[in-house]
Amino acid sequence: MKKKILLISFLWLTSTAQVTATELQLDLKLPAQAGEYHNPYVAIWIENSKGQSVRTLSLWREGSKWLKDIRRWWRKAGRKDADLVDGITSATRAAGQYQLNFDALDDKGQPLVQGKYTLRIEVVRENGGRSIVKQPFALDGKEQKFTLKATSETAKSIFTIKE
Amino acid sequence: MKFKHLLLGAGALLLAAQASAHNRWILPSHFSLSNDKGEWVMVDITASNETFNVDKPMGADRLKITGPDGKSIFPGSSYRGHRKSVVDIHLEKDGTYQLAMGGEPRYFTSYKRKGEDKEQWLRNANKTNRKSRLPKGAYDVKTVEGSSSVLTYITLNSPSKNFTATNKGLEFMPITHPSDIAQGEAAQFKFLFNGKAQPGVKVEIIREGVRYRNEQEALTLKTDSQGQVDFTLAQAGRYILMAEYEQDVSDYALADTVGGRVFLTFEAVLD
Repeated sequence: MKKKILLISFLWLTSTAQVTATELQLDLKLPAQAGEYHNPYVAIWIENSKGQSVRTLSLWREGSKWLKDIRRWWRKAGRKDADLVDGITSATRAAGQYQLNFDALDDKGQPLVQGKYTLRIEVVRENGGRSIVKQPFALDGKEQKFTLKATSETAKSIFTIKE
Repeated sequence: MKFKHLLLGAGALLLAAQASAHNRWILPSHFSLSNDKGEWVMVDITASNETFNVDKPMGADRLKITGPDGKSIFPGSSYRGHRKSVVDIHLEKDGTYQLAMGGEPRYFTSYKRKGEDKEQWLRNANKTNRKSRLPKGAYDVKTVEGSSSVLTYITLNSPSKNFTATNKGLEFMPITHPSDIAQGEAAQFKFLFNGKAQPGVKVEIIREGVRYRNEQEALTLKTDSQGQVDFTLAQAGRYILMAEYEQDVSDYALADTVGGRVFLTFEAVLD
């Protein structure tokens, strides 16, 4: 009996691993800025078709006092789940090019179901500007590549969905 | 209390015509805060008709601050200047705080005198005690019972939904959480009068910065049959909402007209 349970759980684990094959890749460029420069706060997350956050992918931040300044991300995701914020946090980074890879999972680690989503990138600099990048996409089993147009706080970046 | 409604939505609202009918507001330094160690906010309290430039101070000692757990908290310090009162508040618990002033019923009696067109007002005069204070030959005598609530909401970290009604007078009841109003997103508020959803409440919403534009650009709404208003604000910024309702009553010992006003300050965040 014990063996049977072990076998079932083994099968269940392997099947979950197979579903999570979709990979999201973001080639993000933060441009150099003139004048006084503070590393930007950056939040990268995915919203579903109702505008609800389903996954925070990256959060580059300073102390909690400044989280509210990442306005949309704070309202949609950050303020709702302190443990989530602690779990994904990392320090701010300077201007440069960053290759970021993620599995297409939600905040609970479950695969994102097929459907329509929006990638959001919010970049906020203290004593500087703010930009929000919005890229709608669909998870439908196909490979896709999006060129994200430059904004005042982001240079041209590439978002790829790899099946 | 049960009133016989004589007239709904009378043209000239008596409450607004009161001698002291300045707009009032509580304007916090921040509506939405993040900090895992608690946070300070400073709050301006003023009576002014220019959104949001201060004009006259207003008793900060009457400010009621209700925390996310429903318990009152008290300011760290306060200051009364010639143009505004200022209160310093430390928020410790996560959630939504309500800052409120007023809400108690007040009585005003209006009348006219022969040979004078202008309406005169008596403060603190209700139907039972107005007679001795009215001059001889006063006519068109009318008493208004009105309450004014001045409100705002501040959220530290996660918003909470601790909104309670006293079921007295005109009351604001959020449907969209006051800390979840964003430019370009539909929002919904509700108004109660004596505890019931009230249709026909006049609602006006004005964006900050009135001094630097020619028009007020007020959004004027009326609550629907469910006592609700729906609106979408195109611009991010700080807003004042002014709601007003009154009805004439025939079988009430204290007044001929009952009503209320609500002044709510909130922000529409940047999308």
